[in-house]
Amino acid sequence: MDFVSNLSLGFGVALSAQNLGYCFIGALLGTVVGVLPGIGPVTTVAMLLPISFTLQPVSALIMLAGIYYGAQYGGSTTAILVNIPGEASSVVTTIDGHQMALRGRAGPALGIAALGSFFAGCAATLLISIAAPPLAAIALEFGPAEYFSLMVCGLIAAVVLAHGSIVKAIAMVILGLLLGLAGTDVNSGIRRFDFGFQGLADGIEFVALSMAIYGLAEVAYNLERKDEQGVVTQAVGRVWPGWADIKTCIPSILRGTALGSILGVLPGGGALLASFAAYTLEKKVARPPRSFGQGDIRGVAAPESANNAGAQTSFIPMLTLGIPSNPTMAMMIGALMIHGIAPGPRVMTERPELFWGVVASMWVGNLMLVILNLPLVGVWVRFLRIPYRMLFPAIVGFCCIGTYTINSNAFDVFVMGFFALFGYLCLKLECEPAPLILGFVLGPLMEENLRRALLISRGDPMVFVQEPISLGFLIASALLLVVVAAPAIRAKREEALQE
Amino acid sequence: MKIRAEKDFWSGVMFLGFALVAIVAARHYSTGSGGKMGPGYFPMMLGIALAGLGALLVGRSLVLEGTRVTRLQARPILMIVLGVILFGLMIPYLGLVVALAAVTVVSAFASRESQPLEVAALAAVLAAFSVGIFVYALRLPLTVWPAL
Repeated sequence: MDFVSNLSLGFGVALSAQNLGYCFIGALLGTVVGVLPGIGPVTTVAMLLPISFTLQPVSALIMLAGIYYGAQYGGSTTAILVNIPGEASSVVTTIDGHQMALRGRAGPALGIAALGSFFAGCAATLLISIAAPPLAAIALEFGPAEYFSLMVCGLIAAVVLAHGSIVKAIAMVILGLLLGLAGTDVNSGIRRFDFGFQGLADGIEFVALSMAIYGLAEVAYNLERKDEQGVVTQAVGRVWPGWADIKTCIPSILRGTALGSILGVLPGGGALLASFAAYTLEKKVARPPRSFGQGDIRGVAAPESANNAGAQTSFIPMLTLGIPSNPTMAMMIGALMIHGIAPGPRVMTERPELFWGVVASMWVGNLMLVILNLPLVGVWVRFLRIPYRMLFPAIVGFCCIGTYTINSNAFDVFVMGFFALFGYLCLKLECEPAPLILGFVLGPLMEENLRRALLISRGDPMVFVQEPISLGFLIASALLLVVVAAPAIRAKREEALQE
Repeated sequence: MKIRAEKDFWSGVMFLGFALVAIVAARHYSTGSGGKMGPGYFPMMLGIALAGLGALLVGRSLVLEGTRVTRLQARPILMIVLGVILFGLMIPYLGLVVALAAVTVVSAFASRESQPLEVAALAAVLAAFSVGIFVYALRLPLTVWPAL
């Protein structure tokens, strides 16, 4: 059977001593950045991109993936113990998790978060290995018109799921597309938007842009706000939850995993949305509703399962279609392209060891994380004592080194400085940067597919509505926009995102 | 005329600015015809769309109530950008140790809580750590000391 042989190929790659090592480093670093507030997975992946050049593409991707899902585990630890979400996706975990800690049940809260995450991680990995091959097979049949419409649909979905104003988010997508077009045009050889700078001949360096926004601008924004110091709960106590707790949580973990897996695939989805949605759902359907907000263990189990499931399944569109569903996935695409691999449906057939190796490493990584997290909770909490004033100059320094080493070109460092100012303005004006990053990655691809589609149709734009699959994507995009624009639903969405 | 939604107004202005730059720059690239799209086709399309959205935001901000922009604090972001620029200027000539020390020290003063001794210690630790990891372990092409 294909499935078995694929997975055994994957485990063969993932279990090699070298890749086990990189998986461990990734999971470990992910846990650390998950614990430290103010450094997210995007920043860390960006800072580590230069390191990943020196590795094999498989090892690089395994390590970067470990950081992403490791951060989901680490984020919950601080959310529960100190009421500070290490990651945005752990914000809802603070509600019930910290209440549990205050009532002396920190141990079971941490335990159920880890168990839920582990179950969700395994289930989502299985889903990837089942769903990805047929999806890639379908995507191989896509022509340029279908691809263009798919990208439109993906970007619109990312916008709809972003926080705040839709108009601003669409504008950010378009600005991102424009920034992505800078540099030498492959078809005409003309240099576009280089403003006379030699350094822009190859376009704006992706690493410089993403570190500017997710590293530097974030640091500046964090420094403006008052440091909130949480109180570390003294005793963690017994980490393993009792059988009664586990029994209460099984339905919540299943619901969280299912919801998280679905939302992770959607563009703009991923871990953050998954955890919020799972908590909201849990409050509505869990019976008896008794004590949400006052330390209900199901309020920890559901969002923690969901964010890990979402983190895993967001790899599906990246690995099969070459389309990133969130900024971290955009970063992974950047890493693949640095290694000369064009992400898309062909990766699975042409580089099976890459695809299945990464998938199998997620299983291994999740197991490592359970082992890393539960016994070592005390160690992670100690990281929180590092004051931010010692941390942020290090972030700035590593961003500089990372950007410089990509091309050994100081110009990229100046580009990063410029976009740090821009990113700071965006944060002040509440313009979400995620749509910009997605647009930036997709810009050249979208243009190329638009060009090819119009070339085939001899300039007839109707081609996008005549191809049924393409039409389907466009109708879906239009529906999404209408749904969001409708005031009644809009209010609901605000409510859902607020909670 | 009164600006009711400050954040919308200024983001609209920002998008209009970028759109203007894009359209002015793309004016020289040929748009081609539909079947043979030129290098200016897509940028021009995007530039016009961005200008439209920017104008919409500005217009809307005069009608609908919205939130005010919280006070800009120049110090953190400017110190960080200054540190980054210094790093970029120094790294090709003075090597990793000097450039990294410069960016660490300058950007540390983005926070009012930083203390000189602590910052000096941090810069030393970071420089040693980076030389160890990036130069010796990963063999990235970086010079360590100023070329004399």
